[in-house]
Amino acid sequence: MIKKFVYSQKVAPYVFVLPFILIFLIFWSYPLANSFVMSFQDRMLGQDPKWVGEANYSKLFTDKVFLTAIKNSVVYMLGTLVLLIPFPMLFAVMINSKLMMGREFFKSSFFLPALTSVAVAGTIFRLTFGEMEGSLMNSFLGLFGVEPIKFLKNGEWSMAALLILACWRWTGVNMLYYLSGLKSIDNEYYEAASIDGASAWQKFKNITMPLLKPTTIYVTTISVYAGLAMFTESLMMFNGNNSPKNIGLTIVGYLYRQGIEKNKLGYAAAVGIVLLVIAMVINLTQLKFSGMFKKEED
Amino acid sequence: MGASQSKNNLIARIVMICFFIVLFVIIMIPFYAVALSSFKPGESLIRYGLNLSLDFKIMSFDNFIYLFTGSHDYFTWFWNSMFLTIAQVVLTLFVSAFVAYGFAAYDFKGKNFLFICVLLIMMVPFEILLVPLYSLINDLHLVNSYSAIILPGIANAGTIFFFRQYLRSIPKEIIQSGRVDGANEYAIYFRLIMPIMKPSFAAMAILNGMNSWNNLLWPFMVLGDQSKFTLPIGLKTLLTPYGNNYDLLIVGSFFSIIPIFILFIAFQRYFIDGMTAGAVKG
Amino acid sequence: MKKRSTLVSIVTILILTMVLSACGKSDDSKTTTQLGANAGENATELSFWTFVDLHGKHLDKMLGLWNKENPDKQIKLNVSVMPYDDMHNKLLLAVTSGKGAPDIADIELGQFPKFLEGDNVPLEPLNDVFAPYKDVVVPARVAIYSKADQVYGFDYHVGATLAFYNTEILEAAGVDYKKIITWEDYKQAGIKVYEKTGKYLGTADTSAMWQESLLLAQQKSDFTDENGNPKVNSPEMIKALEMLVDLQKNNVIHTIPGGQPDTEEAKGEYNKGNYASALMPEWYMSRFVNEMKDLKGKYAIAPLPVFEVGNPRSVGLGGTGTVVTKSGKNVQLAKEFVAFAKLSKEATTEIWNTLGFDPINMDVWKDEKVTKNPDNEYVQYFKTNAFDTLNEIKDEIQAIKSVKASPTIGNVLNTVTLNAIFEDGKDVKEALDEAQAAIEQELK
Repeated sequence: MIKKFVYSQKVAPYVFVLPFILIFLIFWSYPLANSFVMSFQDRMLGQDPKWVGEANYSKLFTDKVFLTAIKNSVVYMLGTLVLLIPFPMLFAVMINSKLMMGREFFKSSFFLPALTSVAVAGTIFRLTFGEMEGSLMNSFLGLFGVEPIKFLKNGEWSMAALLILACWRWTGVNMLYYLSGLKSIDNEYYEAASIDGASAWQKFKNITMPLLKPTTIYVTTISVYAGLAMFTESLMMFNGNNSPKNIGLTIVGYLYRQGIEKNKLGYAAAVGIVLLVIAMVINLTQLKFSGMFKKEED
Repeated sequence: MGASQSKNNLIARIVMICFFIVLFVIIMIPFYAVALSSFKPGESLIRYGLNLSLDFKIMSFDNFIYLFTGSHDYFTWFWNSMFLTIAQVVLTLFVSAFVAYGFAAYDFKGKNFLFICVLLIMMVPFEILLVPLYSLINDLHLVNSYSAIILPGIANAGTIFFFRQYLRSIPKEIIQSGRVDGANEYAIYFRLIMPIMKPSFAAMAILNGMNSWNNLLWPFMVLGDQSKFTLPIGLKTLLTPYGNNYDLLIVGSFFSIIPIFILFIAFQRYFIDGMTAGAVKG
Repeated sequence: MKKRSTLVSIVTILILTMVLSACGKSDDSKTTTQLGANAGENATELSFWTFVDLHGKHLDKMLGLWNKENPDKQIKLNVSVMPYDDMHNKLLLAVTSGKGAPDIADIELGQFPKFLEGDNVPLEPLNDVFAPYKDVVVPARVAIYSKADQVYGFDYHVGATLAFYNTEILEAAGVDYKKIITWEDYKQAGIKVYEKTGKYLGTADTSAMWQESLLLAQQKSDFTDENGNPKVNSPEMIKALEMLVDLQKNNVIHTIPGGQPDTEEAKGEYNKGNYASALMPEWYMSRFVNEMKDLKGKYAIAPLPVFEVGNPRSVGLGGTGTVVTKSGKNVQLAKEFVAFAKLSKEATTEIWNTLGFDPINMDVWKDEKVTKNPDNEYVQYFKTNAFDTLNEIKDEIQAIKSVKASPTIGNVLNTVTLNAIFEDGKDVKEALDEAQAAIEQELK
């Protein structure tokens, strides 16, 4: 009887998606709801929770350190968007060009940095951007007579260092995304354009870019996600969550500091909810403007 | 006309190749610096910074000898990472593909809602749940166990999404013919569909494997016991002014890249497929 | 057909449960360093978390003695060494949630108040095992780990601040370190050193508060008032930092890679001879001996300079309390062992011999057989004997309170304020007022 029920074509789909439903309920919905409840409490592990209303939120919006964290995360995210979309797209188009040689070689070697873990890559870059005369970046700049720079004690420089780390790791990956997008563009378009006498730039602007839009939407979505959620890169770069003047503090870093380091679960939960709202708003707006929803409906 | 065209092409070709060679060199510098530094005493690295100087006076194989013969936990971490990566990949792929088939092969009530949930998870940073998830894991008595790392990601949204896209291209006739042959729904999946999904399994195995091998934040929060640390956590713990383990840090970092490099070179195509698989044609 | 698919699903479910249960078993195959080689089969297994490798080694030695003396109460110790931040974060989560905590742990002084917050302190009071040692131990070093008359931790050292001078550089500049009595003397000496050698006499620290602490202690002040409320913009604090800024402007002190002397980068700078003095707690001796080997025979130890003669010349700084957690398996045994390993004469002598710390058991300070032992590497390394200076300032050692607000104060000063002052040249009063506001906001 049970067997018949489970084997029926009506029930089978639910059996297939059951694992997802369970995981979604237990490890997403429940913690998320819990997080929401906690954000209205003064709560510490091992102590009884106290209801405090919206106090955590009103404190958050006057918390200068939190505002610094938001600023850092948003600047980092925008930085990755500016650097990790146009350039990889351009590189992909170049590699895809008939004139290019050693395609496979460059494709693979640009991908290599993505294989290193943040723990390893962050340490490498921390030492590269050391403030000593002999560390890689300073010894390079020294060739041009530049005095040693304290990269990781200065806001702009350390943001640059974090962005360079991101570029090093992800340029190759994003380039591959664009390459696979290019594969699906029909060559006929280019041939037709050539007959009309279009220049290379016109072809790129009028054919390649619009047809790569789905890829761009995808890359933008994951970059927004990854940019706003960045934490371990900064953790490794500054060898801890406490950077000078909080120049490396991100939203997740602040969540970690409040929730894990200080055991202020309620306050940390509020940080998480704010991050959730920011991420949803940015991504939904982005998807709306790029017309993604219309597409889903077809 | 033809001659100047081909001359232009030649120049463009040379410029492009030079440009890519420069990019290649820049990308390789950090690898070269780490490889070089693994022959230098770890202490000098922290004190003088990571650099490209070839100083044979201070360079030796000592770090490598220490890595393979010294008393430390490096290889425990290494095998932990291996075990965890393999377990995580096998289980995640099995469950995610199973779920994806449900989304791809059937129309059922609530399907759209559930699929929006999948997309939602893909858009929400997992990190916002760090604190409540930690207390949940705590309540379930899973702290310090690998289940705490595997379970929350076992029905991985990105992986489900990818498999579902892949499955959409499989003709429905296969399913129909299976039903005609009298196979039940699950037999159709396991015996007819799963074999066709092989290439997508390879791609996802590699993508999930990479993420798992390099994962730091969550494992680091739930694992407390040094004997259970994974490689990234272990390497992170070496970065402490109280332990004097810098010798192991760099050579260990260098060595941790090697297995994944070898895998990459052997299965290059699948790596690249796996990565690009995410960017689905809209 | 049907049979096979059922088989497949059964097998997969089986594999699934097997793998998951294998993952779930938490206490099998231990490869954590296990100490207590001489322990018998009936030994109790205890776990210990620390962030200092050497602390584990010290407990190992004590364990050998303990197991020999107490054959009926033998112990095996599983030691996990983790980085500073990580260990404290994990320990806090583990003890407050009551799950996954070790039996014994090291907690650094600056982190200690976090563990004493609230009504249910998750640590065991150690008063009963402390009682036998009450009269020989420096009281101030016990008070900082106490709450409402309950003692929760035993320290490794007093951490009395001293001045360490590189006599080679000072002689080259024509400076006699013995004549440096006040901060004005220090400044004049530093100006001379910079003019003659181009080197800096000391450091302007941006990531630690050793100097602020010792300057406050000299004025009999603190970071907090008697109710535990922060007062980092007090006149004493302003005076202290303005003096440091004045030293920085005169090239007497200078910022150092790493941000403070006790970092790997900074030790490298010292070892290269780029800085001529360190004003640090006594335990910095061990960093000299173990990590700045090129400086052997060059350094001398003296009391700190003061604002005016008569100011107390030292303060106990830094420290790590070894605690016993409430959720441990054998709390009483753990307590007895910790007291033995941290307070007994044997243990504290060993702490000086191997770690080079000034132990909190004062009996050791008086025992010249121990303190002047010519075979001791900490005696050999320095031009003067540390205990000559320590015994001279013994009655002047102050304490800086460690209260609920302390971790926040440390966090704000070490990440923001000191960087703003010494790296960006921000006005002292303004920076401190901002710090006070930030700390109050954070504590709200």
